[in-house]
Amino acid sequence: MQGPDAVVDPWLMALWDKILALYPLPPGLEIISPDVRLPPKYTLHYLPEDSPHPDSDLLQLAAPQAAPCELHPFSARVVSNQRVTAQSHFQDVRLIEFDIAGSGITFSAGDVVMIRPQNCPEDVQQFCQLLRLEPHRHFVLEPTEPGTPLPPLLPQPCTIQYLVTHYLDISCVPRRSFFELLAYFSTNELEREKLQEFSSAQGQEELYSYCNRPRRTTLEALWDFPHTTCAIPADYLLDLIPHIRPRAFSIASSMLAHPERMQILVAVVRYKTRLSKPRRGLCSTWLASLNPEQGDVRVPLWVKKGGMKFPADPATPVIMIGPGTGVAPFRAAIQERVALGHRGNCLFFGCRHKSKDFYCQTEWEELVTKGLLTLFTAFSRDQEEKVYVQHRIQENGRLVWELLSSGNAHVYLAGNAKEMPAAVAKALQLVLQLEGGLSPSEAEEHLTALERSQRFQSETWS
Amino acid sequence: SQVFAAEMGEYGVAPGQRVAIVWDSSSPVEALKDLVDKVQALVGADNRVSVENVNQLPQSAHKESSFDVILSGMVPGSRAQHSVELLAEVARILKPGGRVLLKEPVVTESGENGKIKTAAKLLTTLTLSGLVEVKELQKEVLTPEEAQSVGEHLGYQGNDLLIIQIEGRKPNFEVGSSSQLKLSFAKTPGPSGKPSVDPTAAKLWTLSANDMNDEGMDLLDSDELLDSEDLKKPDPSSLRAPSCKEMGKKKACKNCTCGLAEELEQEKKSSQPKSACGNCYLGDAFRCASCPYLGMPAFKPGEKILLQENQLHDA
Repeated sequence: MQGPDAVVDPWLMALWDKILALYPLPPGLEIISPDVRLPPKYTLHYLPEDSPHPDSDLLQLAAPQAAPCELHPFSARVVSNQRVTAQSHFQDVRLIEFDIAGSGITFSAGDVVMIRPQNCPEDVQQFCQLLRLEPHRHFVLEPTEPGTPLPPLLPQPCTIQYLVTHYLDISCVPRRSFFELLAYFSTNELEREKLQEFSSAQGQEELYSYCNRPRRTTLEALWDFPHTTCAIPADYLLDLIPHIRPRAFSIASSMLAHPERMQILVAVVRYKTRLSKPRRGLCSTWLASLNPEQGDVRVPLWVKKGGMKFPADPATPVIMIGPGTGVAPFRAAIQERVALGHRGNCLFFGCRHKSKDFYCQTEWEELVTKGLLTLFTAFSRDQEEKVYVQHRIQENGRLVWELLSSGNAHVYLAGNAKEMPAAVAKALQLVLQLEGGLSPSEAEEHLTALERSQRFQSETWS
Repeated sequence: SQVFAAEMGEYGVAPGQRVAIVWDSSSPVEALKDLVDKVQALVGADNRVSVENVNQLPQSAHKESSFDVILSGMVPGSRAQHSVELLAEVARILKPGGRVLLKEPVVTESGENGKIKTAAKLLTTLTLSGLVEVKELQKEVLTPEEAQSVGEHLGYQGNDLLIIQIEGRKPNFEVGSSSQLKLSFAKTPGPSGKPSVDPTAAKLWTLSANDMNDEGMDLLDSDELLDSEDLKKPDPSSLRAPSCKEMGKKKACKNCTCGLAEELEQEKKSSQPKSACGNCYLGDAFRCASCPYLGMPAFKPGEKILLQENQLHDA
């Protein structure tokens, strides 16, 4: 057995033994057998089909006078959804603009927008068919244990359609507890045995190979256990499947440049595992599918303060390193700083091909012409040898050193995690050594000091 | 070639051939009758054209290697889809060198609808079933009504459906068969006991009369150099190089002559629709590690369950 289960399982067993030794059960009480199915957190009560109901599929409106938040997101209209990479490029990246007029939302460069995605109609339909749910039926939830609060994100009454579309995360990779619970509903011996195997300690490696490695979705797993799935009582849906989590995107525009608007850069996640159907990111795929030309398209969103803060002093130059979609917060920062008249903007941008994924090219070139931006580009695949942002940093070490030392520049790094952040840190250290005359250990310390004093900030994602 | 096609008639059918037409119930009976009449006219009255519904073909268990040509999905209106199992059956009942000509609806973009294949997937399916010389002949665009009808039938909402026409052949050897290699010097010898020799070549090698008189020329009877051991016919097994299989080769050479290609072909065919565990249709959770269907969803479990659903009432 491998992984955390190898430690947690035996520990839990030993824990209960210890606890029972210290606090034995009072007479008459027994430990509930693992064969016994525990009650669900809520019971689901269908309302009669013919009774009148308010239309509960409307998104919750923002509470007045309060900034939109997770419980009360703002329903932002999609203004435009443009692909900014060439059609021949492997990745579909979108620049999406939202109308946030009247929302009470304010944001500054470095802030992040939270978006809660929804499941696609095909998946919703398939889920309802598998579980024999009728999408149009209205229901209310009642807690089994008195005092349990109702799930805040579900309107009451609610429809099955709404529950499966907006709430249940049927595309997430199911966890061990999913199979454990599912086993209780099984009417088929073959399926039940397999489900129990997947929830056992010994079966965790098998489970990893079945679910996690190929990134199998909950819906796909249910498809493999048809006899069990059609027997799932609706009461247990919220115990079985977690709710959809919101996704964070760096805001890519400034309110100073585009008032009442918000723009984001979204790379559509799509990749292959050994499953025949390609894997898709739930949120990025949903956002990419929104077409404002087909009518009023809305996205529930709210803003969170971001990790990156840009200097208020107009004299402080800013060095931004943002390959790929990492450039998003820097686009916001540059728009903001240009609007405020801050000129010390230095951007290192990297992508694969100048002709394919050099998004915002026109914008940058215009700013360069006006002397408002110093731009260094690295097109990694436009020539035989790979050229990355870290190479450009080293090539322009003198300038970087000048900005850091006499300019007191702030350095920012954003983009995909993996190797890039380490490579950039290394390049910066080399600049400190070669141009600043520091020893390798001094250079490392200096970089750490810059981090501590918030003069070197990074926000990377995986 | 065009001349070939003219001789063979439409569908590549020649007089005297045994042909099977595989159809599905989406095609109107009239259209099927038309095609049967056409083909019957091509093969002549002495040969009966066999007709099979695509779902019945495996059960009919025709004698192997009995058809020269099989036409499947060729009746106008057909929506037949060809699985690996179906094509393996087609390959089985085709004569060696026999030809299958089929049409099937395909999508242009690969993706989520597991029911409809892309053209590439269909070509691979033919190859996996044991057919060779698999090639796409043409693509047909559907009229909007046809596309809608096919889409509804197959549960597909996209607008990139096409009908593709593909041909394939059964390899020109039957597994286990052997044939004499045609090597010219293995032919029965002529009256002189020696194979005939090109006179001009012979001249080059003939010793001239002058050579005969050369004292230094030592003419030996080369036969005398051989002793009884040399004259013994070698045991064929001692001549065999370690076979490709023994050497651990998993892949046969292109012009395999040692039989490994046939062996691997047989393995491939027999491991195709029949799995080690028999659980292929159940889904990845139940499939064994060597299952050819790993990565694909369980086969139509939804339909199975929906059938039972009719008998149950909502609680």
